Amino acid sequence: MRRVRTGLAVTFAQAMLLAVLQGVSELFPVSSLGHTVLLPALLRWHVDEGSESFLAFVVALHLGTALALIAFYRAEWIAIAVAFVGSIMRGRFSGAPEERVAWLLVAGTIPVGILGVLLESPVKRLFASPIPVSLFLCANGFLMLFGERLRRRQHEAADRPYRPLEALPARDGVFVGFAQSLALLPGISRSGSAIVAGLLRDLRHDDAARYSFLLATPVILAASLLEIPKLFAPDAHAVLVQAFVGGIVAAVTAYASVAFLTRWFRHNDLTPFAWYCVAAGALAFALFASKVAA
Amino acid sequence: MKPLALALAVVFVVIALLYWTGHFIPAGVHVKHGIVSIILALLCLVWYRFLTAAPAR
Repeated sequence: MRRVRTGLAVTFAQAMLLAVLQGVSELFPVSSLGHTVLLPALLRWHVDEGSESFLAFVVALHLGTALALIAFYRAEWIAIAVAFVGSIMRGRFSGAPEERVAWLLVAGTIPVGILGVLLESPVKRLFASPIPVSLFLCANGFLMLFGERLRRRQHEAADRPYRPLEALPARDGVFVGFAQSLALLPGISRSGSAIVAGLLRDLRHDDAARYSFLLATPVILAASLLEIPKLFAPDAHAVLVQAFVGGIVAAVTAYASVAFLTRWFRHNDLTPFAWYCVAAGALAFALFASKVAA
Repeated sequence: MKPLALALAVVFVVIALLYWTGHFIPAGVHVKHGIVSIILALLCLVWYRFLTAAPAR
């Protein structure tokens, strides 16, 4: 008989805080997984994160985030889907911008899809505890600072031109997909690593962020759809209200986050998020290593 | 390249079936691994389609 971990269900207040945190940190380049490990530990919440009820709740949050991303880019997704199906029906490329983006999304999703299913569980088992997550969060900050520095050297010092997303070669799409896989390490941000990789491949911030958000959508949606049965697990009824309201809250905050970030990256860079990650990671490391936090 | 695309599609379908039936590794059935294998098989078939389609006029 299958053993069911009952654990302690999240309270309504905890659920709402986690939903806001998920909606914001999934898209801001600050690692949602890192924050969902660190925050409950810092606040000494006695929540069993492996229990069926908690996993059901997390599925609802991810589903809300994915639906918010689809809603925000709905016109672009329709154009991409039409162009993608059209190219398969014809059996050749037309060179249309939407078609190029569609195949760039395929190229970027293959690495993260393969590495995700093969490595997610062992990597989480090894590193999903507060001290390694704190260190990875710091590393995430330094990765973004390093990426910005390298980009400035490439484009301002060497005068290399930028290119639009539609002109990105497929091999560079694969490179961004591999970079996105770094987010399997809890504390490394999916959007942060993908944006840095895009910048290093001559995309501007707004195009790198757009590619990152479009790439994130099928991954988050597929991951949450595959886990939907967890919402009907025997122990999940304890958190059904939290899951439903949390999913809506995560969707609203994710929509607001992507709207803010698309505007932000038109004129700004990753630097503030990078320093936030360095400071939050260092503070969390100090608290957990000195045993001030549990 | 056409035989390679077809052969890879068949290989990925077989891998998916092995994952779904639990024969691949002793740890048991892996639904997600099987789904990824099927998606890779479909992409190989799309590749085959691109190789065999009539050229543009």
